[in-house]
Amino acid sequence: MALAVAGVLAVFLIYTALGGNQTPLLQPSNLAAHSGTVSLTGKVVGPVAGNAKSDAGLRFSLHNIRGASPLVPVVYRGSVPDLFEVGRDVNLTGHLEGGAFVANQMTTKCPSKYTAAPNDAA
Amino acid sequence: MADLGRAALVVSLGLALYAACAGTAAALGRSRRLADSARNALIASFGSTAVAAVVLALALVRHDFSFAYVAAHTSRDLSTVYALSAFWGGQEGSLLLWLLVLTGYGALVVLLNRRLLRDLIVWVVPIVGAISAFFAFVLVAVASPFRTQVPALDGAGLTPSLQNPYMVAHPPMLYLGYVGLTIPFAFAAAALLSGKTDERWIVATRRWTLSAWMFLGFGQILGAHWAYVEVGWGGYYAWDPVENAALMPWLAATAFLHSVMIQERKGMLRVWNMVLVALAFELSVFGDFLTRSGVINSIHSFAQSSIGSWFLGFVVLTALFSLVLILWRLPLLRARTKLESPLSREATFLYNNLLLVALCLTVLWGVLFPILSDLFLNQPRTIGRPYYDFFLRIFGLPLLLLMGIGPLIAWRRASARGLLKTLRWPIFAALAAGAALVAAGAGSSRPGLIAYSFSAFVLATIVVELVRGTRATGSLLQLVARNRRRYGGYIVHAAVVLLAIGIAGSSAYGTTREQKLLPGQSMTVAGHTVTYRSLERERTGLADETRAVLDLSGDVHGTIRSGVNHYFAGDSSREVGIHTDWLRAEDTYVIFDQQDGRAVFFKVLVKPLVNLIWLAGFVFLAGSLVALWPDAREQRRLVTRLALARG
Amino acid sequence: MTALVIGALIAAVAVVLVSLPFLLGSDDDLGVPTAEEERRLALIEERDRALAALKELEFDHRTGKIDDADYRALVGPLRRAAAEALQALDAGAAKE
Repeated sequence: MALAVAGVLAVFLIYTALGGNQTPLLQPSNLAAHSGTVSLTGKVVGPVAGNAKSDAGLRFSLHNIRGASPLVPVVYRGSVPDLFEVGRDVNLTGHLEGGAFVANQMTTKCPSKYTAAPNDAA
Repeated sequence: MADLGRAALVVSLGLALYAACAGTAAALGRSRRLADSARNALIASFGSTAVAAVVLALALVRHDFSFAYVAAHTSRDLSTVYALSAFWGGQEGSLLLWLLVLTGYGALVVLLNRRLLRDLIVWVVPIVGAISAFFAFVLVAVASPFRTQVPALDGAGLTPSLQNPYMVAHPPMLYLGYVGLTIPFAFAAAALLSGKTDERWIVATRRWTLSAWMFLGFGQILGAHWAYVEVGWGGYYAWDPVENAALMPWLAATAFLHSVMIQERKGMLRVWNMVLVALAFELSVFGDFLTRSGVINSIHSFAQSSIGSWFLGFVVLTALFSLVLILWRLPLLRARTKLESPLSREATFLYNNLLLVALCLTVLWGVLFPILSDLFLNQPRTIGRPYYDFFLRIFGLPLLLLMGIGPLIAWRRASARGLLKTLRWPIFAALAAGAALVAAGAGSSRPGLIAYSFSAFVLATIVVELVRGTRATGSLLQLVARNRRRYGGYIVHAAVVLLAIGIAGSSAYGTTREQKLLPGQSMTVAGHTVTYRSLERERTGLADETRAVLDLSGDVHGTIRSGVNHYFAGDSSREVGIHTDWLRAEDTYVIFDQQDGRAVFFKVLVKPLVNLIWLAGFVFLAGSLVALWPDAREQRRLVTRLALARG
Repeated sequence: MTALVIGALIAAVAVVLVSLPFLLGSDDDLGVPTAEEERRLALIEERDRALAALKELEFDHRTGKIDDADYRALVGPLRRAAAEALQALDAGAAKE
């Protein structure tokens, strides 16, 4: 029994080590130099302009939730979750392109309460 | 009043500690008076915890904003029902709920087992007492629900999206499940401590395990439905860490429920069962830790809090305790018999266990990956949905198949010939279903097709079992009544099949389209035509509600209203519109994405067979209840056995 | 004021409940089965297990899950096991 379980565990390790399924979890402070699709978490900083459904996208900036960090400009195209607003913590999936973070998935989290509320925009 | 709550919790802590210490002394010294005293302390701790709970409940209902907790989670305009449900809406209150359920279970267990199993109960009391003491300690010293403040004029209120019936039902149900897994763990530990490692502890805890498992399972389906209709992204499960926190112990408990049947009959897998029950318990507390500590990014998490370290310590401590106990008693746990053949019911249970535990570990690995990758690679990474989907298929589909083979294969040693003969009809049904489905176009998704065919196989085996059994006993009702465990189990299997079909249908064969529509325009998704008619606006006491009215035509007909609520409190939330065609168990799901002048961006999803998932929830409940139903004969047998042994 | 009264009440009830077994002065025997009773209990459970297995085999045979050939192969060892368990139980009882 134990051997079989160990075997199964080995399978995961190999799969996740080799499989390309991992997505780095980043913050604005360590985003630079990461190419490829990443998951970026931060606090929304205004001004918020544009339209997420247009080609130009919804534009805003992102700051580290805690601590100092540079402001990362974000261009978002897709569904905007319910709780999105300046000051909220959001999680974006996308990549760096020409100095801005281009994202197409966004989830929000209610700042300090226990909640099941955010919309998964995918 | 807050003082009373605080005092009641201190009394609970004291009683729990006494139960733990005196109980241990009683077990070691074999003193009945001390054991009864410890037992009474455990029961009394439920009483004092209940008092604390009533204090909090009253404060919530009365909008007593001198309670910091009440001010943080309710507001004056909140109805009584939701004010009460805010009890478990925050960290401290939900901890109190946990303690209440734990001491409640503890009291019930010792009261119902007063005469039987004295040698086990004498150890169960200190174990439950110790675990209760931990939670009571956290409530008294770390996260008190009774912190007071200068009474605010009004509270912060409950997030509008939490003000729905699911908030009332889902958390308590999950807690009844999570906390319920403590009881079999306590009995297992008691068996190891007392040296009575035979099957008695398993028989004693069977119903407790089954009911905890039932609550945990149904609670998860409730949660999935809540996500589906309220959170509104079109899905029902996101492999979110807190969702997984409930799934993992449930999978471990499912494995345990199956493998104990082997131990009861053959005396095999004793070490494995000990490990499984400890795993289920650890995962339930670990799941609690995940939810509370905020250590993993999740849409569910409570705020970051120091409570995480306490919980982590508790998980590590109890894991070490279990490990030491099992290793110490390893000689006593040696199996009496061995597995005779890889083609037997024992073997299928073994394979089923391996697959379930593998699935459980898959989820655990996915949950822990961000933490582990941060520790070892200095860069946190998440694993995406494809990972979970892949392993769900790899482990889940064979599990589905085994569900059909298991009940029909013989114990000890089955001949391949005999097995094929019994499985004739189900195999034929699966092949026929597969062919029909391919003809109907289901070949577009291979995993979906396999899932459907396997489901047909399992359903056919259940039908075959029922038909054969009814023919032998004469009445279906009698058959089920006399073999509650077996046929209750079959009903649960049927529920799992419905779940599999529902999941396969809505994911593998679902369709999604996004389009911007002006009033009068329509879009077609998988044979359904959705036409945007008009926009309605309504003002309620809580929000400005905007609803787009859409007509549904084509394969199904109806009207759908989908829109947004803008709450005066500040937030807004999408309210999805769902049209259910009961005959096809199919949903047309419309999300109001964004308004653009007169036009609206809509996202339409067609989800075939999704309603089978919710139906599965009820069938699951029914099957579990049948299996749980008390059997007077069985109870009498247990009592007579003991009397006979006494001579 | 009520808070104080209720609080004192809870504490009092707790103390009473906890000391009750000592005040009632019942005997201190935990009442767990002795080694001899344990042995008998184990034998009884062994017997019940063997009989249950037989019953299940009969049921499976009656409902057609196990055909005659398999039944004949399996019933022998089970019947032997049941007989042995019954014998062991009687032997144990005879010793008393």
